[in-house]
Formats: sequence, C-alpha cells, structure tokens
Amino acid sequence: MKAVKICPASEIPAGGKKIVEIEGKSIGIFNLNGEFYALRNICPHQFAPLCLGKVTGYNAPSEVGVYDWCREGEIIRCPWHGWEFDIKSGKSIFNPHKVRTKSYPVTVEAGGSGCDHGCDHEDESVETYPVTIETGHLFVHL
Amino acid sequence: MSSTEAIIDTDIHQSWASFEEIRRRLPAYFQQGHFKIPGGVYGSPIGVSRADAKPARGGSAGSDYELLCSQHMDAFGITYGILTGSGILGLGTHPHLDYGNALATAYNEAMRETWFTWDDRFFGALVVNPGDPIAAAKEIRTWGGHPRIVEVLMCSATRFPLGHRSFWPIYEAACEMGLPVAVHPGTEGRGISNGFISGPPTTYLEWHTNLPQNYMGQVVSLVCEGVFEKFPTLKFIAVEGGLAWIPGVLWRLDKNWKALRSEVPWLKRLPSEIIVEHVRFTSQPIEEPPKTSQFMELMEMIHADKTLMFSSDYPHWDNDSAAHAFPRLPDELRRRIFFENANEVYRITERVAALEANKPELEKEIA
Repeated sequence: MKAVKICPASEIPAGGKKIVEIEGKSIGIFNLNGEFYALRNICPHQFAPLCLGKVTGYNAPSEVGVYDWCREGEIIRCPWHGWEFDIKSGKSIFNPHKVRTKSYPVTVEAGGSGCDHGCDHEDESVETYPVTIETGHLFVHL
Repeated sequence: MSSTEAIIDTDIHQSWASFEEIRRRLPAYFQQGHFKIPGGVYGSPIGVSRADAKPARGGSAGSDYELLCSQHMDAFGITYGILTGSGILGLGTHPHLDYGNALATAYNEAMRETWFTWDDRFFGALVVNPGDPIAAAKEIRTWGGHPRIVEVLMCSATRFPLGHRSFWPIYEAACEMGLPVAVHPGTEGRGISNGFISGPPTTYLEWHTNLPQNYMGQVVSLVCEGVFEKFPTLKFIAVEGGLAWIPGVLWRLDKNWKALRSEVPWLKRLPSEIIVEHVRFTSQPIEEPPKTSQFMELMEMIHADKTLMFSSDYPHWDNDSAAHAFPRLPDELRRRIFFENANEVYRITERVAALEANKPELEKEIA
C-alpha cells in the first residue's frame, strides 16, 4: 500500500469533504466528526460523481408510519439517482446490486460502452481507502 | 460507444438564471405578481435536479450554458439536443387560459432569443397550452416554421384524454407545420389537470412511479378516437412516460379490438400497428429489469428499432447517462435509438443542412 499526502487535516472541517485526484482516480475525503474516510468518486449505478452528492442521514427500516432518521452526516447520497452509501464502509444502504443483478454477465468495456444496470458487480459497495493523520497531514493509502 | 457516434438527446431541460427572463416578455397585466404557474404537492425529497448540476454562480440547474455543455453535451458527446424547458409545462393546467397562452408565447420567445442563438447543437420544443387548443394552434402556425423548432410540446396531464376532438386543432396545425406533438410528465394532479385514476398518492415515490398510468390513457385515447386516421401524418411523442407498460397495452388493445372493433369502426388494422407507426417513446428514466435478457426482450416487444428515442432528462435527478444507462446493444439498434429514430421525426440532419446553406445569406445580411 502506498501513502499519498493530501493536505493539512485542518483543511477539511468536521462535516466537510474534499475531492482529490490520486493516480488518475477521483477520490472524496470526508471528515466525520474528526474521523477521516475516503471513497472512490464513482457511483456503481451509472458512474456518476458520487462524492459531489449531499452528505446526509437516512430513515432506518421501521414500522409503518414511523420515521427513524438516523446517522446524520454519515451517508453520501449520489447526486444523480439518490442512491445512499455509508461513508465509513462504502456499502450501499439497500444493497442495490445484490438485489438486482445476481445473474448478469459482466460487460465493462474500455471507452465506457456497456451495461450498468446489467452489470453483475459481485461487490455492491464503493471502494474505500484508509486515511491516516501524520504530523497534522492527511494521508490516503492506496 | 465510440466518441464519433452521433447522438440526439430528445429531452434536455434548459432554464434561465431567473424567471425574469420569461416574465419580462409577458404582457404587462400578466407581469403582476398574483399570477402563478400551478404547483404540485409532491416535492422530491432528494430534489428535482441533480445535486451536482446547480451552477456555482447561482440560479437553477440547467440555467448555466457553460455548465450544461461541459457537464452534459461535451461530456457525453451529444450531437444535438432537444430543449424542453423547466417548470413551464404547468401553464397547461392553469384555469386562466389567457395567462397560460401568454406564458407559452413568452417562454417560446425566450428560448428562441437565448438558447437557440448560443449553440448550433440546440433544437427545441414549442410549448403550447392544451387548455386552449385554438390558441395553441395559432402559436404553432406562427412559430412552428422556425428552423430550430422540431416539435410541439405540452403537459401530459389534461382534463380530457388527448384523443378528444376538442384537441384536434392542435394536431391539425402541427401536421400543417410538419411537427410531431409531444407530451411531458410532471403536472399530474396540478391545477385543473387530472391526477391518477386510482386517486392522489401519498409520496413522491408513488407519484413518480404512477406517471405511466397517464400515458396509457393518452395513447389509447389517441388511437381509439381516430386521431391518426384523421391526421395520417401525425407523430405523437410520449416523453418520459416509461416503456415496460407498452407491451401490455399493445396486446390488450389488439385483443379487445378483435371483439369490439364496431365501437371504433374507423380503426381498420390492429391498434398495435397504428401505435408502432405513429407513437414514439423516449428512453429515460430507463427501466432496469433484473436481467439484461429481459431488457432485450422488452426492446423487441416495443419495437424499439422504430419507436424508441434516447433521452437524458438532464439535469433532473433521474436523468440517464448516454454512456451507461443502456446495456450493450447491437450496433444497428443502438444507432436507431440514439440517432435515427429521432432524426426521422425531427428531421435534424435536413434542418442542419438547410441552416448551413442559409448561413452565407445571414452573414451577408449581418455584414
């Protein structure tokens, strides 16, 4: 694993985020109350820039008529189709690909042609990267 | 998709930094503040627009020409885009017909004088008021001949189904000007329009899911009332109304026609044949069945090689990527959906050639 120096940790306030380009990959770095997390800036659905979405919470599964809004500030919602992902783990909240695509052939093509709702991503989550702070600077480990 | 492949995007929602751009073009009386476009109660909890499409300088999504180009036209290699406006179609559900008509005229003028002059890739829909078909027909005859106007557009939610003969002046004028007539969703349950046949749903999720209901009713009405017999050159475009319901309606209508055709004796062939000939559907929001094979079967069932046209719906939350929304398609089918079907109804290449030919004339005039 390679450590890439990003910026002083103070540059991203609590609740804030920064999108950086590391070795050709666009990556979003998030400050969740002093803990830093990094996510690949691509939604697995239609490849939208996920990290440009809103940092929010979500209604946890509940009884009819109950709205249990939770985890405010820990969820990133794709700016296009609203899919919700856990910033800490990169996992989809409702696990769409597992729900949708079990028996799909994978056809990811160079140049971007090809299916997404038709893709069988075995892994339904967004890639995450460890973030550390050394001498006040953030490092992302790829 | 190779970057050299031509794409026509049949649904792009441009807007302006402020409503003032339209308001200032209204007659003085209608500039008074008490006139409003009917709104709806179904607000999207995640916003109607893409969260990354809001211009940094302020204003609504779709209002910044540079952002629309860099984020959409250039990013996905869109060759030509059909402009369909933002938040304007509700004018067709206003009980005040004169206001609705004035808004349509002002909106159309704003589009001609701004977006059409900014970029040769843009063509547009002429918005009309279905509440007043006589006035709509007049707007169509006045402006339908503009080289960048490629269709007549109105809201998909109406008080009577669109086959009703009170709407025929719209179809007559559209045929005269060689334009297809399109409808776009969003006004269901607003103003004087009808909502859903099952009643008003509770959430935006339900409302959005139910939108195809209305399209079923409109297409069945147009066919059964004999609109395509009366206006044999008319093409009707169902924008953003869904796709997977189409096979069910085609099959059920054909089956019923075999027994009940005496009710509609002017229909002399299978209704499904009439639909495939006269109705076009836009692709977004693309339906995503569990298996790619099911999607491909759907393409066959709806005769996508003739009836389906790509649309993005940029910059709305449910917009589709030109590069990633569809599974991999056979080359010919892809060409039909992404370019040819739209080019046939909108005559884009013919219009581009005519505009090019007239350019030296225009340049001479300017000089």
